Amino acid sequence: MDQNEFQGIDLGHKEIEIPPEIRRVIVQEGGEDENVKIALPTDVSSDGVFGAQWLIVDPNHLRVITSNNGSSRQKIILPLNSIEDAQIEQCVGNGLLHVTVEGKPRVLLHFSNELTERFALAATYLRLHKENDRVPDFNSDGKRCVSCGRRLLDPSMKVCPNCIKRDQVLRRLFILAKPYWGQGVVQLCLMLAGLGVDLLPPYLTRTLIDQVLISNDHRNWLIWLVLGLLGLQIIRVILTINTNLLTNRISTSFTTDVRAKMFAHLKSLSMDFFDRNETGRLLTRINQDTEELQGLINQMAHFGLYIMLIIGIGIVLFSMDPLLGLCVLIPAPFVLVAAYFYQKYMQPNWRRFWFARWRLNSMLNTFLAGIQVVKAFAQEGQEEERYQNRNNTVLASRLRVDQAWAKFFPLISFAFGAGGLIIWYAGGNAVLDGRISLGTLMAFLSYLGMFYGPLSQLAQLSQAWNRFTTIAQRTFEFLDETPKVQFSKNPIIRKKVEGRIEFDHVFFGYDPYFPILKDVSFTIEPGELIGVVGSSGAGKTTLVNLISRFYDVNRGAVRIDDVDVRDLPIEDLRKNIGVVLQTPFLFRGTLAQNIAYANPEASREEIIRAAKAASAHDFIINLPEGYDTIVGEGGAGLSGGERQRISIARAILLDPKILILDEATSSVDTETERQIQKALEVLVKGRTTIAVAHRLSTLYNANRIIALERGRIVEMGSPEELMQQKGVFYKLVQMQSQFARLDGVISV
Amino acid sequence: MNTGISIDNQTILEKSPQDEVNLFNFEPVYLQPAEVVFRYEQENLTLMLSDGKYFPRVTLRRCFPFTNNEVFITVKTPDTEKERGKEIGIITNLEMLDFSSRESVLHELKLHYFVPVIQKIEKIHEEYGFMFWKVETDRGQKEFIMRDNIVSSTRQIGTKRWLLIDINQARYEVNEDLLEDSHSRKLLVRYLLL
Repeated sequence: MDQNEFQGIDLGHKEIEIPPEIRRVIVQEGGEDENVKIALPTDVSSDGVFGAQWLIVDPNHLRVITSNNGSSRQKIILPLNSIEDAQIEQCVGNGLLHVTVEGKPRVLLHFSNELTERFALAATYLRLHKENDRVPDFNSDGKRCVSCGRRLLDPSMKVCPNCIKRDQVLRRLFILAKPYWGQGVVQLCLMLAGLGVDLLPPYLTRTLIDQVLISNDHRNWLIWLVLGLLGLQIIRVILTINTNLLTNRISTSFTTDVRAKMFAHLKSLSMDFFDRNETGRLLTRINQDTEELQGLINQMAHFGLYIMLIIGIGIVLFSMDPLLGLCVLIPAPFVLVAAYFYQKYMQPNWRRFWFARWRLNSMLNTFLAGIQVVKAFAQEGQEEERYQNRNNTVLASRLRVDQAWAKFFPLISFAFGAGGLIIWYAGGNAVLDGRISLGTLMAFLSYLGMFYGPLSQLAQLSQAWNRFTTIAQRTFEFLDETPKVQFSKNPIIRKKVEGRIEFDHVFFGYDPYFPILKDVSFTIEPGELIGVVGSSGAGKTTLVNLISRFYDVNRGAVRIDDVDVRDLPIEDLRKNIGVVLQTPFLFRGTLAQNIAYANPEASREEIIRAAKAASAHDFIINLPEGYDTIVGEGGAGLSGGERQRISIARAILLDPKILILDEATSSVDTETERQIQKALEVLVKGRTTIAVAHRLSTLYNANRIIALERGRIVEMGSPEELMQQKGVFYKLVQMQSQFARLDGVISV
Repeated sequence: MNTGISIDNQTILEKSPQDEVNLFNFEPVYLQPAEVVFRYEQENLTLMLSDGKYFPRVTLRRCFPFTNNEVFITVKTPDTEKERGKEIGIITNLEMLDFSSRESVLHELKLHYFVPVIQKIEKIHEEYGFMFWKVETDRGQKEFIMRDNIVSSTRQIGTKRWLLIDINQARYEVNEDLLEDSHSRKLLVRYLLL
């Protein structure tokens, strides 16, 4: 990137320095400019335009200094000790920092989104400075290029495109491709042979013209020369077919290898990786990147071929006639420029066309998916209009491509043709002077046709090369990703646990600056049934995720049978925990396979027993294919309640000591819920159960209820106790009994 | 019916224990211009209701941020660490407020919705899957970086209006007709594939 042209983008690699003007104001207002703890500039002024304000924190005071047209003044000063709380708040396109002073909120300043993490750090410091005076490192925000320290635009990479060590990436790719080295050598030989075959025909035509046509000395050579040309063409065809087949075979099997490696690695990564990377982006990684890698390997092979061709032809031309050879080079810059402009001029037109077509297709998709809604609301007319509009856009963009091409094509043919004319003129003179023969001139002209094509292709080389190394790098980085939840080095083996669960002052946030769970402590005895209630976003699901160690706590500990979960082997831990989720997930396969997912070795008796316990047996045997019924991806063909009972059967079959029910009944109707409830009652017997529930009817026989609010435990006790306290749980019960009356369900 | 529970949980939870549980109060509260006074106290937007209720800090939300800027503004208390903010009421039209209340509200909206409107595009540079923009906006000069994926980083919000979302989720509005020069328009058409 042209660094001079984009200086306003803060890539965070510069140290924050307090300008003299701001220092002056600090001193003027009775502060010390030497002992500043925090000096953070924001890019939003107090009247909501781009401008500068500074947050200055010294050991005693917090100041906000605002600059306007070169003059700065102190806008806010607060004694540091008076700050009771500090938080950042997300607005639209920006955020703000506010503090609480004497129980009252107070807004300090706004900042644009790119500074969010820095000000979140500052807020954390302001909140905790009494206990922890360590000043945060403001340059640690965001993911940075490990090589140059600049902020990464593509957070899924570790180094920025500028810093990719292309030779290293290539070396690694080369090593990865070791099994294909032999085929690669064969490929190279084929390409060289093809090159020779390409270069020969003009030589033969030269002989044909000079020795046969003009001199008429060797009339009998004619048939042999023509046959020779035919032979060369046949060899060329055979070589081309084989080269292409081999290239495809190498690139396809190589990328299949890479894909397999990526999947093998993917499954070993921990949950935080999947949270950080959306499913869509991961799919792109694994499918598109490898596919593109394959295309690029092919392309690179072609570039290799072109370069050899250009060098080969160059050598031949110069050896035939150096002066005329030079003339060939005259139009070369024009060809390159033309190729460059082709990219610049045609590419956007093509992209516009693809984009318009994509939008048309996606509209059609949405329409078909929502056809029932369209018909129900009688909106066919509106949809047709929409479709017509997009269709017209496609037409317009296609026309623009064609028009651009119509204008461009004659120009590029001119660039190619003009090169030929130079040779006709210079070569014609040479023939007339007797310096070269007519045959040589004709050979020259044929080589010329083969010369400019590859040359124009090379204009794309640097772009393709960058893309190639970037994708290869991305692939390697993915393969280098280490799971955050690490296996314990000295694991404590507990094949069967009793089921005591203890949370000991647990703090946890997916982003440590924004904790979801705050100081959560409780103990669950083996066999207890615990209900977890609270509004959405209170941290219920997060809490149960910590038990299975999908994530590691930031502070505190989660213990099972007095052993920190971090000391247990992950596989053993999870074998002891059964999970029933809100949306059951079934894999493609038979019902029996789905029930036996955790233990594919399970006998048929075990499967039927589990299904019976989960009240799934009855509906399964009524299916025409019984336990052999194949369900589609995600469980297509079964109702929500049926799927849920299959997933309960799956948990029963695992026979875990700890059971987690994460809103297991919240997405089904009341009748199904009753059946599921029946299944669950069987399941929870003799196990430590943690049930996250919106529907409190699930919890009527719970030993204790934990109520969470904004990440903290606000109530804990038996349902009866909590009902008497008339707190959060009581409210929930009140509300649901109103609903229950409406629904005809007996209330709790 | 059943799906409604989880949504209503919150409404109920947020009420203080004294409030009576009323599930069927869906009517929006509209604030009459005569009963509200908005003032800035330092950087806080404060609200005083005519019944004497005072809010040391309120925040505002536009119900229709793109279609009409001065109608249907929701007034709410700010979120705190313990609970989410509650809606105090909706102002249907800012024009009816007294002058300084209206000025204060407009200022707060300007701060909350930091969406600069691009007036001039100086340069767009494309590299490694990102677009680097250098623009002049109604809030000053700015350079920003956007993913070059048009589908995810732009939204059409009117016949010739687009919203650009950069890698930091900052937003910029651009209106083809409001661009100051043909150079800017040309760049826009070219890079947004219009």
